[in-house]
Amino acid sequence: MLAALFCTTRYGGPASHTTWPAACDTYSAEWAEKSIERTLSQFRAGDEAGFDWVTVAEHHFAPFSMTPNPMVMAASLVNVVKRAKIAILGPDIPILNPVRVAEEIAMVDTMSGGRVVVGLMRGSPNEYVTYNINPAESRERFEECYKIIKTAWTQKQPFGWQGRFYEYRSVCTWPRPVQDPHPPIYMSTASPEAGEFAAKNRIGAGFAFTTVQIASKAAQFYRDKCNEYGWTPEPEQIVYRLGMHCAEDDDEAIEDLRSAGGGQPAVGLSFRNRSVESAVAQSGFYGRDMENQRGRLQSRGEVASRIEKGQVLVGTPETILKQIKRIRDMLGCGVLDLSLGAQLGDKTMKSIELFGEKVLPRMHEL
Amino acid sequence: MVDGNQSAIELPGKDFSESRVEADGFSIRYLESGSGYPLIWMHGGAGLRLSRTHDLLALKRRVIAFEIPGFGESPANDRTQSMKELAETMLQAISALGIDEFDLVGNSFGGKLVAWMAVCAPERVQTLVLVSPAAIRLPKPDDAGDRGLGPDFLYAHPERQPPFEPRSEEVVTKERALISRIRGPARDEELESSLAELEVQTLVLLGTEDRISRAELGDIYRELMPACQVVMVYDAAHALDADRPEAVTSVMEDFLDRHEQFLVRETSGLLYP
Repeated sequence: MLAALFCTTRYGGPASHTTWPAACDTYSAEWAEKSIERTLSQFRAGDEAGFDWVTVAEHHFAPFSMTPNPMVMAASLVNVVKRAKIAILGPDIPILNPVRVAEEIAMVDTMSGGRVVVGLMRGSPNEYVTYNINPAESRERFEECYKIIKTAWTQKQPFGWQGRFYEYRSVCTWPRPVQDPHPPIYMSTASPEAGEFAAKNRIGAGFAFTTVQIASKAAQFYRDKCNEYGWTPEPEQIVYRLGMHCAEDDDEAIEDLRSAGGGQPAVGLSFRNRSVESAVAQSGFYGRDMENQRGRLQSRGEVASRIEKGQVLVGTPETILKQIKRIRDMLGCGVLDLSLGAQLGDKTMKSIELFGEKVLPRMHEL
Repeated sequence: MVDGNQSAIELPGKDFSESRVEADGFSIRYLESGSGYPLIWMHGGAGLRLSRTHDLLALKRRVIAFEIPGFGESPANDRTQSMKELAETMLQAISALGIDEFDLVGNSFGGKLVAWMAVCAPERVQTLVLVSPAAIRLPKPDDAGDRGLGPDFLYAHPERQPPFEPRSEEVVTKERALISRIRGPARDEELESSLAELEVQTLVLLGTEDRISRAELGDIYRELMPACQVVMVYDAAHALDADRPEAVTSVMEDFLDRHEQFLVRETSGLLYP
């Protein structure tokens, strides 16, 4: 199994973590600089500790994550992270210019010598307010964007695009990805519609902001669909994201996490603006499995419950290894994307190092 | 494939009138609608089927869709021996209608025919549009069969099309004999060397879901014909004019009107003055 280290570039100063968009009235440039420096240090530590990937993601208008353009962070990581792959999980393609996404990913792949892994995402519901895109069109836009990006990476001659949502007269991106024909592609496959699209197009599966029980069913659906489309995904084509905090003592690790609010905010980004979430839900954004999809985004709880739900790895290396095996057995995933939602200063750095030293070598053998 | 909903879909071409023209010893059937600069359309191997793209194009120009001698209800064509010969016949048919210069469109098998027509009479062809062209043929998918293409190959969304009326065995046999006799090799050196020199403004349209004239042909046409423009039509299969009529009409009209300047957007992006 592989491990990825996901830092959201959380703003470290005082700010609202319960509203969206979050007002900038408490914003301090000094805090922002410090927060970005902290993120770079954690990524550097993760690389040195042996993490296989480092992960960046796109979120907007919130101190939870200061990487509205994850490509910028990914580009800066090229010289900070010397060895690990750079997982851009990902650009929210339905709200972006897909040609620009193809160009930027190709740039980072070239700058990093072919170390990019890509997750093409629809984004959380609130992101549709960001650039004023109708969430009802999210899935159709996603599917078209995916085709544009892939065509941009594979055609060698200029081509135009006569789509439903996108129209280009001439596209021919420079640079092209180093990886031939393009970097490995993943997408979020929480919903049945997404699972089927991923299976049909041989795209890797990703699960985040969920529980291992819910994700297991979705992963099985994805595998069944892959089988229908005549292929079997490799374990590394299934990625599961959850929190992680490792310490020398189980009780200490749990207490650390509890003191940091359970390792994740009480309210996820999607539900920090209930009017927005409700309007997006009414648009049909969630698809035919709406109740499940909304439910998983609201699944919060105490640390013990979060361990049981597979939302966090917490404890000593031995304890965490058991938790990893359980998740792997339930889900069949080959990559864990480990989020550092909780920022505990030196303890977080220690957690990264300890995981690298005591967990990663054994995880690689699983 | 036929169901109640499909039966309710309006058949395209209701404003087209049917006529015949005598040319090169053939009595050639054609369908015509609209007025303005002439646009000549040559059909593919599945025969003359009008799509909504024909209807939309005819709102602004004179659209003439010929039936190639030997297709449909016309007598078997045992005379024509090559695509080049057929091209000469069709050029005579256009002349017989009193048309000297025109825009020229061909899809699939008709794409190869119009490529030959442009090579034979470049001075008459103002612009050339190759729709899912078979001027260069890639290996067929294993399940394509040799009886011609059914709705699952022609359309990305067969359920959105009017009922597909299969042709009789007799017609198919007659058409297949003609096609296999004249279509030439998959890579036709004589045609390709001529296309490389062709100065006629050319647009190649390829459907992203086309399993016959696949998107990879875009690179091949661009390398072969330096002046040509390639546009991918998203979510469209081989009969892309039937799958995405509004999108196809829009890009075709822009190209027919503005030639290579269609690369530069002309329509305004202003939301509110």
